[in-house]
Amino acid sequence: MLRVKSPQDLGAGLLFVFIGCVGIYFGKDLTYGSSRAMGPGYFPIWLSTIIMGIGFICLVKCVLLNGPPIDKIPLRPILCVFAGVLAFGYLVETIKLEPALILMTIIATQGRKDTNQKQMLILALCMAFASVLIFVVLLGQAMPTWSGEYMSAFFSKLWALISSARGA
Amino acid sequence: MDLNMFSNLLTGFIAAGTLQNIGFCMIGCMVGTLIGVLPGIGPIPTLAMLLPITFGLDPLTSLIMMAGIYYGAQYGGSTTSILVNMPGESSSVVTCIDGYQMALRGRAGSALAIAALGSFFAGCVGTVFIAGFGPPLASFAQKFNSPDYFSLMVLGLVTAVILAQGSVLKAITVILIGLLFGLVGTDVNSGATRYTFGISTLWDGIDFLPLVIGMFGLVEIIRNLEEETIERQPISTKMRDLWPTRAEFKEAIPAAMRGTALGSLLGILPGGGAVLASFAAYTLEKKVVRNPTFAFGKGAIQGVAGPEAANNSAAQTSFIPLLTLGLPSNPIMAIMMGAMMIQGIQPGSAVMTSNPELFWGLVASMWIGNLMLVVINLPLIGMWVKLLQVPYGMLYPAIIMFCCIGVYSSNSEPAQLLLMVIFCAFGYILIRFGCEPAPMVLGFILGPLMEENLRRSMVLSRGDPLIFFQRPISATLLFLTACVVALIVLPSFRQTREEAFKE
Repeated sequence: MLRVKSPQDLGAGLLFVFIGCVGIYFGKDLTYGSSRAMGPGYFPIWLSTIIMGIGFICLVKCVLLNGPPIDKIPLRPILCVFAGVLAFGYLVETIKLEPALILMTIIATQGRKDTNQKQMLILALCMAFASVLIFVVLLGQAMPTWSGEYMSAFFSKLWALISSARGA
Repeated sequence: MDLNMFSNLLTGFIAAGTLQNIGFCMIGCMVGTLIGVLPGIGPIPTLAMLLPITFGLDPLTSLIMMAGIYYGAQYGGSTTSILVNMPGESSSVVTCIDGYQMALRGRAGSALAIAALGSFFAGCVGTVFIAGFGPPLASFAQKFNSPDYFSLMVLGLVTAVILAQGSVLKAITVILIGLLFGLVGTDVNSGATRYTFGISTLWDGIDFLPLVIGMFGLVEIIRNLEEETIERQPISTKMRDLWPTRAEFKEAIPAAMRGTALGSLLGILPGGGAVLASFAAYTLEKKVVRNPTFAFGKGAIQGVAGPEAANNSAAQTSFIPLLTLGLPSNPIMAIMMGAMMIQGIQPGSAVMTSNPELFWGLVASMWIGNLMLVVINLPLIGMWVKLLQVPYGMLYPAIIMFCCIGVYSSNSEPAQLLLMVIFCAFGYILIRFGCEPAPMVLGFILGPLMEENLRRSMVLSRGDPLIFFQRPISATLLFLTACVVALIVLPSFRQTREEAFKE
């Protein structure tokens, strides 16, 4: 009976074989050409084949050689961060930058058990407006915001004031 | 020749000396020091996250800032190593060994000063190195033809493999996967779309930003979130303790010089960089120094001066292969290359002739930046130490925000954020399966270039692969590659390699 001695190699082997197979399967519709005139499929097919080959070597290794176990994957922080990022991505157009950032922070920080919710809210609020200031007002990146216009107006007024004071 | 170098450097100082460039050099150095000091965030994720900001700047300014972050991190990293016994950054791991011991002995100030001054000296030498070696290498590279470039990339990728941590076989595969990912999108030659699965976002290829920010920025956060928070209690220092004694100087100066020389050489090698240099320098010091006042591991000042000088000089000379050959020698340089390509500059030997201000301006800015860093690090040390008390719980929401805005702002598509999450998951799985994800970005950047050069070589030779052995440059490069491969297979070298990484 085969026994897995190195779980990490098993995982890597399966992953590599999978990527290699996907590469070959979707690459086979591309023109392969010949080595004299390489088609778009030539290089990818070669790469995928080698990747798959190494994957099989890893699979052989995992039953022959001892290796470290796969560390436990903590799902909660990962899922929270992912959910936060995706919520930001798909909502920012409709609810604009500041609320999207605050929402993202709230979701993403649920991954840690020791999160101080009140502190986090204040932090999120400050950072959302700081981001508008840095990215939209100072760096001029086009993003939908609630406060960007007002901030820009405020700063241009301030700037006008300073320059007029200097002139006087 | 020599005179030429000075006139070139003058051009560089004029280009780098504008208010805007000096300002961004300063920002880069500050950010670099900051992330160097803070454990849990290194130069790769930082550069990835700041990439979108640089789009609005002109190419020279953005390169100056990014370079400042890389070598600034080498300065900042030593601070945390010495005061907290925790590397702020992976190239300062060895500095912990003796630096912290010195701090326990009450010589923290001296260790910090030696690290900063050693780095400054190394930075100056590294700059001269680039100025001296860059042009001849670039003019040599003009002789390169497609087969030579292909072989050069093979050599670069293979060397990057042995210097990566962990299993060689897995590192090779990760690079190959990177190459494959680099091919996604519309093929320039035939117009065929490859591996796009009918998704329009992928027609232009996988965007560089979601890939690097997902694989490095977000992954870094998740890895830090799973670890327990550790109390960081820095050892306090006062300004007046900063100056090292004469005896300490006497021991540190030769060590810093050895470290600088070693670091400059290792930086040029494909696959080299700051991390490798600091480890190698520490090993060298242990071999060379016979009777240190304090033994290694017990607070030997050579153990601080050597590696700190080495990592800084290597951080600078690792720009040489990128700027002269168009070959990124490590993942950080791959990100730089990505930044240059987004700006519309193809890195390579042509940069120096077609765009001399860019090359020499960058070189000059490194010298300016190093000078700034000594000032930023020594008198202001107290400020950076205070920053260590910022809990990670406050820090990481800000980092995620940066990641999100960065990816979203580059082209306002929600799919890019999905792509970022996918690459984060992929990078995380790779780590869990014992594969280092960093080399992937090298493959990703080089994928299309390698394919193009292979295609051209094959057209030249009418499909005969022997062309790679018939051209002298290409044959030499492949011979070197074979030597490197032989080294990997050789059991005795394998052992030393594993030991080196264990330390």
